[in-house]
Amino acid sequence: MATESSESEEEGKITGGNQHLIVEDDLREMGKKAAWSVSSCKTGNGVSSLRDDNLETYWQSDGAQPHLVNIQFQKKVKLQVVVLYVDFKLDESYTPSKISIRAGDGFHNLKEIKTVELVKPTGWVYLSLSGNDPRETFVNTFMLQIAVLSNHLNGRDTHVRQIKVYGPRPNPIPHQPFQFTSREFITYSTVR
Amino acid sequence: MEALLANYVEKSLKQYMRRNAIFLCERLYAEFPSEVNLQLLARCYLNNNQPHSAYHVLKGMQMAQSRYLFAVACLEMDLFSEAETALLPIEELCAHVTNGAAVQYLLGIIHRDTNRMKSSVEHFRKALSIDPLFWAAYEELCILGEAEEAAVCFGDVAIHYVQEHYLGNASSYLQIANSDQSLDSSQAFGLEDLSLSHLQQMEGNNIRNICLNNHGGPNLTGPVGQITNSCCNSSFFRTPSPVLTQLSDMAPPPLIRNIRFCQNEVSLRSSTQARREFVRENESAQIRGSLFFDSGRRRSARLAAAQRSFNSTQGSENKANNLRASIKLNSGTCYSTVCKGQFQNLEEVGKLLETYDDAVSAFRATSSSLSSSADVKSVQDETVNTQLRSFISNSSKIKSGISDTINLLRILGEGYRHLCEYRCQEALNVYQKLSSKQYNTGWVLSQVGKAYFELVDYLNADYAFSLARQISPYNLEGMDVYSTVLYLMKEDMKLKYLAQELISIDRFAPQAWCAIGNCYSFQKDHETALKSFQRAVQLNSRFPYAHTLSGHENVIIEDYGNAVECYQKALHVDARHYKSWYGLGMIYLRQEKIEFAEHHFRQAYRINPFSSVIMYYLGTTLEALKRSEEALVMMEKAIVTDNKNPLPKYSKANMLVTLGRLNEALEILEELKECYPRESSIYALMGEIYKQHKKYDKSMLHFGIALDLKPSIVDVAKIQAAIGKLILPDEIEDNL
Repeated sequence: MATESSESEEEGKITGGNQHLIVEDDLREMGKKAAWSVSSCKTGNGVSSLRDDNLETYWQSDGAQPHLVNIQFQKKVKLQVVVLYVDFKLDESYTPSKISIRAGDGFHNLKEIKTVELVKPTGWVYLSLSGNDPRETFVNTFMLQIAVLSNHLNGRDTHVRQIKVYGPRPNPIPHQPFQFTSREFITYSTVR
Repeated sequence: MEALLANYVEKSLKQYMRRNAIFLCERLYAEFPSEVNLQLLARCYLNNNQPHSAYHVLKGMQMAQSRYLFAVACLEMDLFSEAETALLPIEELCAHVTNGAAVQYLLGIIHRDTNRMKSSVEHFRKALSIDPLFWAAYEELCILGEAEEAAVCFGDVAIHYVQEHYLGNASSYLQIANSDQSLDSSQAFGLEDLSLSHLQQMEGNNIRNICLNNHGGPNLTGPVGQITNSCCNSSFFRTPSPVLTQLSDMAPPPLIRNIRFCQNEVSLRSSTQARREFVRENESAQIRGSLFFDSGRRRSARLAAAQRSFNSTQGSENKANNLRASIKLNSGTCYSTVCKGQFQNLEEVGKLLETYDDAVSAFRATSSSLSSSADVKSVQDETVNTQLRSFISNSSKIKSGISDTINLLRILGEGYRHLCEYRCQEALNVYQKLSSKQYNTGWVLSQVGKAYFELVDYLNADYAFSLARQISPYNLEGMDVYSTVLYLMKEDMKLKYLAQELISIDRFAPQAWCAIGNCYSFQKDHETALKSFQRAVQLNSRFPYAHTLSGHENVIIEDYGNAVECYQKALHVDARHYKSWYGLGMIYLRQEKIEFAEHHFRQAYRINPFSSVIMYYLGTTLEALKRSEEALVMMEKAIVTDNKNPLPKYSKANMLVTLGRLNEALEILEELKECYPRESSIYALMGEIYKQHKKYDKSMLHFGIALDLKPSIVDVAKIQAAIGKLILPDEIEDNL
């Protein structure tokens, strides 16, 4: 059935986490072109800590749950995976437990596309946005919102150390229907 | 003391004992502050890479040579306006000044660097017309895209021009010799007075020489050597060419061969006591001259044999003696003025020949006055004959030498011009005409490599470049292109090795840093690659390829703003660098600014109309602008230009699909499938076509193969979506 990917609601539990961030070559980080904002933060632990590639710094929220991280793009982009760095050993009760990811055109029409429960995560956690249908590999959207619904040990505020958002690389040769795979085609495709 | 010091400074300069030269020259200038000594001092500074010192020293000086050196110093420091103001007054004297061609060339460089392209071209052309052997000017014209055919610049006209200059006086000499042969010895007596006046005339000549071109002096070491060389039966004009290629290097005349050096040493040293030695030498020369200038009829066998052997084996020595005498005169008087590292110009050599002729005729005249017996006269006759004969044979040798040189330059020039206009196949053909000695040199082989690179024939390019590296591993020009070839061939090891080698040879060469940048780029470390390319830019901001590569890297990391800047810098340096136009076109194509993209691709196409890749992109852009017919035409051209390039064919098939001409598209794709069976996009497109033809099983088959060939994620999604839509009609049919 052809369904919009934003409709699927699956629950899954994720334990542990990866020490290293390993992403497929086909994907590239899309966060540089987005506007990032958070629902609340403590002074000194603001949204910039989420994007500074430094795992020592973290964002600390300072308000009521759910805590939100909003990522807004200038045009519709295809996104495939969201990666968070959270560590139970360091943050304990500040570690997020239930996370919901929503997508839409703006604040007015966000729809939840994924819910995940983390159990004592320690490192990079990969949240894939793809649906089951191969046609739903990507989420094509203007805005993504990551909501922290609850924390471990019922903590009020949350710490998140880093967030990255990945989407597919565009065709290096614009205006072609399919990307080239063989060496001869690729050789002739650029002038260097 | 002045002459001694000056002489010593010259010697030190020649031996590259720079500090010695500078110190002594400073003492010299302190003791005898004259402008001529100042020029020598400036030369010492320029030689020691201290253009700023030379600049300060020569500021405000008015002599032509001082202005010239001042301009050179300014150029080293990038002070274009000052250099230009220094050179303009001597421009009028260009035709008469020895390094007139060099002046024009420098003016050309200044104009080019200050963006006055048309006048720059004019100056380069003038330089070439003054001196047809001025390769650097022709090279610059090629780069600017304004060169005439090499056959014109290095043609018969040029040959005659050069030959005239070298031999112009020889003909007058021959006439005198012929007419005088019939002269009586009695008449010779009458010539005694003439001889004196001859000598005075010679002196006058020399003084005239100084006034016109203060460029005598040590450069005479070159011509002296050359002339003795010519007498020594070697190819006279092999020597100018290597000098010419060193034009940009500000070293003094590099043509120091051992033998000549000693001779010159002797001559220079003796020239210090100008006046006195002049007279003494004259006498000794007279005596020497009398030996074989005595006119006469048939000679005795002994004398004849002696003379013949003397002439044949030592003929050069005699002439050298004569020359030395005359040149001592010349150097004595012209000595103090020095010319900075400019190659000998034709006029200079011509004048030397003039003085040689005068000297010889003077000696002949004087010595004929000393003639005694008829025997001796006959000997003189005979020797005059042999002199004439050898002179004639020399002049024919000179002629053939000149034509050989110019022919060589013609071939090289034609090849270079073709390559600059990207007619790569013609360039290759032209270079094939070179002798194997010339072909197997670093410069030619890297040109060949570049030609293959532009033809997208990377294997041959690799071969040519590696050969070039074997033959002259120190030559870094063109190695940046080699690193790109290895990058595109994905030859990781070779690329790394090349970069290491280049850096170890010269850490300050932009080509080496370009190679390193390519290494990092290959390993996907684009930040470091960018840094390396920027370093290359810092080392030489007028190296366009470094800017272009920076632009490419910026595009890969998607920093389009900086990329545009880099490309524009490259174009500022060299507006004919078509890769930067291409880079800008690609950026605008990605940003969907299609009209801009078309403009830039068209510029690239205008500069290089033989590149199938550029045509392909131009066609793609036209298609995006919905100008399908033009797009198809362009694609056809691309296919014709390079049959091995599959992209235009694929694109054409795509366009045909859009136009609804599905069968033709299928034909093309079938062909492509044969050649490139592992290219997923071919099958994907064929699947699309079959779907439109409603041949669902074939479509399914092709989509399946396409998926098997592991396309990118996006395409996987697309293809699977397409498959999904295929199944749908089947299900509907089933349900029915």
